Amino acid sequence: MSHIFWAEEIIQKAQVETTCATGRKMEIGTLISALLTLFVFSFLYKDNPFYKFAEHLLVGVSVGYFVVVAINTTVLPKLFLPLFKQGNLLYLIPGFLGFIMFLRFSPRLSWISRISLALIIGAGAGVSIPAFMQAQILTQMKASMLSFTSFEGIVVMAALCTTLMYFFFSKEHKGWLGRTARVGTWFLMIFFGATFGYTVMSRISLLIGRFQFLLGDFLHIID
Amino acid sequence: MLVQFFIPHRSFIFAYENVLDWMQIIYVFTLLVGVANYIKINSKKVSTKIKGWGYNLVALSGLLVMVILGFAQGTGEDTPFLWMFNHIQAPMQATMFSLLAFFVASAAYRGFRARSKEATILLLTAAVVMLGRVPIGNMIHSSIPDLANWILNFPSMAARRGILIGIGLGTISTSLRIILGIERTYLGRE
Amino acid sequence: MRIDRRIIFVLIAFSVAIPLIFKIGLPNRVTKEVRMVYDAIDELEREEVVLVSFDHEASSLPEIKPMADAILRHCFSKDLKVISFALLAEGTAIGDQILRDIAAEYEKRYGEDYVYLGFRPQYTAAILGLGEDLHRVFPEDYRGISTSELPLTKKIKNYNDISLVISIADGDLPSYWINYAEARYHQRLAIAVTAVMATTYYPYLSSGQIKGLVGGLKGAAEYEILIGKPGMGGKGMDAQSIAHLVILFLVALGNVSYFLGRRNNSKGTG
Repeated sequence: MSHIFWAEEIIQKAQVETTCATGRKMEIGTLISALLTLFVFSFLYKDNPFYKFAEHLLVGVSVGYFVVVAINTTVLPKLFLPLFKQGNLLYLIPGFLGFIMFLRFSPRLSWISRISLALIIGAGAGVSIPAFMQAQILTQMKASMLSFTSFEGIVVMAALCTTLMYFFFSKEHKGWLGRTARVGTWFLMIFFGATFGYTVMSRISLLIGRFQFLLGDFLHIID
Repeated sequence: MLVQFFIPHRSFIFAYENVLDWMQIIYVFTLLVGVANYIKINSKKVSTKIKGWGYNLVALSGLLVMVILGFAQGTGEDTPFLWMFNHIQAPMQATMFSLLAFFVASAAYRGFRARSKEATILLLTAAVVMLGRVPIGNMIHSSIPDLANWILNFPSMAARRGILIGIGLGTISTSLRIILGIERTYLGRE
Repeated sequence: MRIDRRIIFVLIAFSVAIPLIFKIGLPNRVTKEVRMVYDAIDELEREEVVLVSFDHEASSLPEIKPMADAILRHCFSKDLKVISFALLAEGTAIGDQILRDIAAEYEKRYGEDYVYLGFRPQYTAAILGLGEDLHRVFPEDYRGISTSELPLTKKIKNYNDISLVISIADGDLPSYWINYAEARYHQRLAIAVTAVMATTYYPYLSSGQIKGLVGGLKGAAEYEILIGKPGMGGKGMDAQSIAHLVILFLVALGNVSYFLGRRNNSKGTG
C-alpha cells in the first residue's frame, strides 16, 4: 500500500514552514495560495501570462475536482453499489441511460442520447407544475391579499399589480395600461436598485475575504 | 411524475421514487459528458500546438493531478486532494469573483447616472440600500437603515413577487408544452 | 471628468485594506430577518435534527463561511443534531471542513451528533427524494459508511424527522428547497444566502415560506452578535462600510460631472 502514499509525503514536505515577508513562519500552501491570488489580481493591470496561467489552472483543477467528487459520491454509491454489490438489476436502466449520454460524441448515434435527456426534462416538467403552482403562484398571491389592510399592504398590492401589468404583453402598452405599466417599471427599478446595492455589498465582501487572507494569513499584518 | 402528485397509488409511488433515483444518476453522466468534451477540446489544442497551447496543457495537467490524487488517496481530511482544493482551487476562485468588486466600482462611476426618472429611482434606491445595510449608515442617520428595511420588505419585495409569479406562470406553461410534445427544442428540434 | 479605472481600483483596494488594518469598530445592528433565523433555531429542543445544505461554489467562500460558522455554532451550542450535505460539487469539501471544525469546537462526535453525507447532483430529484427516503438518496455518507448503520441517520427516514432545513447558498438553490421541500412536504426552512441573492428571497420571507434570511457578510456579522461569538463577519464590517462610502462618492462624482457637462453643453448651444 505504501506506493500510493507518495503524494501525501510531498504534501507533508510542502507543509514544512518557510519564512514569509515579515519574517514570520508560514506554510508553503499559504505561499502558493497567496501567489495564485496575486496572479489573478494582476488582471486588474492588464491581461498577462500570469493571469492566463492561473485561469487555466483553476478550470483544470475544478474539472478534476468535480470528476472525483461526482464519481466517489454519486456513481459509486448510487449506481455501482446497488448494481454490483446488491445485485439490483433495476439499476441497469439508469446505468444504460447514463452511458448513452456519451453517444453524443458520435454524429451517427448522438440521437440515442436524447432518450436520457427526455427522461430528465420530462420528469422535471412533471414535478415542476404542482410545485410552481403552489409555491410561486398561489402562496405568493395569498400573502399579498392578507397584507391589504395597511399602508404597506396598499404599496405591496400597487407594486404587484403594476409590475404584472408591465409583463402583460398581449396588449399594446398604451392608454391606462401604458400608464400602469410605467408605474410598474418604477417599482421594478426599486427592486433592481436594491439588488444592485446588495450586489455591490456581495462583491466587496468577497474582496474583504481575500484581503483578510493576504493581510492576515500571508503577511501577518492583521489577526 | 405529475400524476403521482394527484393520485398517490402504490404503482405511481414506485415509479416516482425510481425515476427520482435515476434522474440523479443520469444527471451526473450528463455532467461527465461535459468533462469529456472539455478534455477532448484541450487535448486537440495541445496536440495541434495552436497558439497558447501551453495554457491548455496547464489545464489538463491540473485536471489529471486532481483525478489521480482523488482516486489514489481519497478526498477526506489531510489528503493531498483536499490540500489542492484548499490552496489552489478555492483561493483562486474566490479571488476571480472578488475582481468584480473593482469592476462594479468602475462601472458605477462611469454608468450609474440619473439620466431619467427610472434611472434616478434606481440610483437612489441603490444608495439607500448600500448605506442602510452597513454600520456607517446608522451612524450617518438612524432612519437610513429603517428606510432600507422598508424598501426591501415592501416595494422591492412586491416587484420581485410580480417577477416570481410571472416566472411561475411561464414555467408551468413551458412544462405543459413539454409534456404535450409541443415544445421539443431541448431535443434539438424546431 | 475622466478618472483612469486603475485609480478607481487603487481607491477600492485602500478602502478595503485600511479599515482592516486600522480597526474603527463601527457598531452593527441586528435586522429582523436574521433574528428570525436565530429564533427558528433557538426554539428547537435539544437533540432535534437540523439539516444544513451547502448549496454553493468555492467562489463565494468569504461570504459563506462566516454565515455557516455562526449558524453551526448556534446549532451545536443548542445540542441539536446536524446532518449535512452539498447540492453543488464544490460545496462538498467546504461543507465537510466547516462542519468538522465547528463540531470539534463543541466536542461533538461524528455519527452521533453530526453526519456529513457528501454531494448529490440533480437538486430537484435529491430534494424530492429526501421527502420519501433519506437512505435511498444517500445509501452512504461522505466517508463511505452506510447511513443505515450510523446512529444519527439510522433514525431518520425523511423530512418528518427533520425539524429545520437550512440552505446555505450562493445561487437560486433555496428556491428549489421552497418549491419542492416547503411546498410539497411543508418542511420548515431557513436560508443563508450571499448578499447578491438576498433581495430575491424577500417575497418568500413575507409569505412565511422561509422562517428567516441571513444575507451575506453583514448577515453573518449580525448572527455573530446574536450568538455572542465574534467572527469573520464582524471583522469585515468596517471595511464594508468604507468601501460602500467610496463607491457612493464615485457615483456622486460621476453624476456631478455628467450634469456639469450637460449644463455646459446646453449653454454652448443656447
